[in-house]
Amino acid sequence: MAVLDRQGPPTQAEFHEVISARSDRWYSACLKITRNRDLAEDAVQDALLNAWNKRHQFDRSARLDTWIHRIAINAALGLLRKSRPGVLEALETEVEGPEPTPENMRADEELGRDLANAMQNLSEIERVCFVLKHLEQWRLKEIADEIDSNTGTVKQAIHRAVKKLRVRMANLQREAL
Amino acid sequence: MNNDNDLKEFDALRLDREIAAPSHMKQRWHDSIDLAAQREVRDQRKAGRPFSLTSFFWGAAVTTALAVGIGIGVMLSDDPVVVEPNTYVVQRPDNSFDRVMQVHLRDTQNDIANLPIDTVEDRTMLVLRIIQQNRLFEQAAEQNDADSLARVLRAFEPILLQLAANDIAPEDAEALREQLAFQLKVMLTKLERNTSKEITST
Repeated sequence: MAVLDRQGPPTQAEFHEVISARSDRWYSACLKITRNRDLAEDAVQDALLNAWNKRHQFDRSARLDTWIHRIAINAALGLLRKSRPGVLEALETEVEGPEPTPENMRADEELGRDLANAMQNLSEIERVCFVLKHLEQWRLKEIADEIDSNTGTVKQAIHRAVKKLRVRMANLQREAL
Repeated sequence: MNNDNDLKEFDALRLDREIAAPSHMKQRWHDSIDLAAQREVRDQRKAGRPFSLTSFFWGAAVTTALAVGIGIGVMLSDDPVVVEPNTYVVQRPDNSFDRVMQVHLRDTQNDIANLPIDTVEDRTMLVLRIIQQNRLFEQAAEQNDADSLARVLRAFEPILLQLAANDIAPEDAEALREQLAFQLKVMLTKLERNTSKEITST
């Protein structure tokens, strides 16, 4: 892991160190956001090159892996937005999730059955807001800024996501009985 | 909304489960950092080098000569290779185009790996041949609506033209060769994955 008492920008060796130790985590986060393996892979790739090019701006009081993680999430959101324009705009009226594509289904295999089933029922904005809030611990304001929305919409999206996931939980519990 | 309770409740869904990234991707991420570092060193070295008018004219002359030569070669050549990509255009539905492209990329990979770095004349001749082949496959990719593949093949050409120049320093030639090898590897991995996906799904 990146050592805090080092001076200057992170070195090539430090990048290799964090890729070996943390790239699964970055990839997982990007996959949960995009539900698309190619986009998740590209997001990590873009994030690494971006981080390398901006390594002189890296603050040594932070952790290199956390810094890259954040860049990767932003890259994933950017790629998601680019691949499906308008998908992260305010969708208060959206109730159903999008139709699953073959690529979504392949990505879901990697995400695991329960999580994939649960995520399938969420719309893009619900999934992204839920992942960023609960798994990535972003603040509502940060999420709203990132997806060009407002905290009210984000709150609503998370609320709807939680509600849908609770239904899934209830089904799981029934299946377990 | 109580975040802690929500998270505890959703633990059963294993929401924070970590998914392993494919190993070839991890390798690609490692490689991309090495490549970016190499490129940076090379750019810094170039920036420190004074501008040489002779070198500039010489480089421009070689590039123009190569471009004209290749253009004439492509027009006049009756090499059987010309037929190859067009033959596969017809066979697109059964994915044979991707396979032929894989063969081409693997051949190029071998040629690049065995490229004589120190013997300028041999290197120029070999690179010239690679450029010619590359253009044919680029055209074939365009005809097969494989736009991203055509774009990648097109992007190889400036690097190949730099490699063909005879005033390039051996370390620069080596760096360009590595850059090409890396891009070829990435392209091949993507193509192989697409092919295996189709095989699995049929």
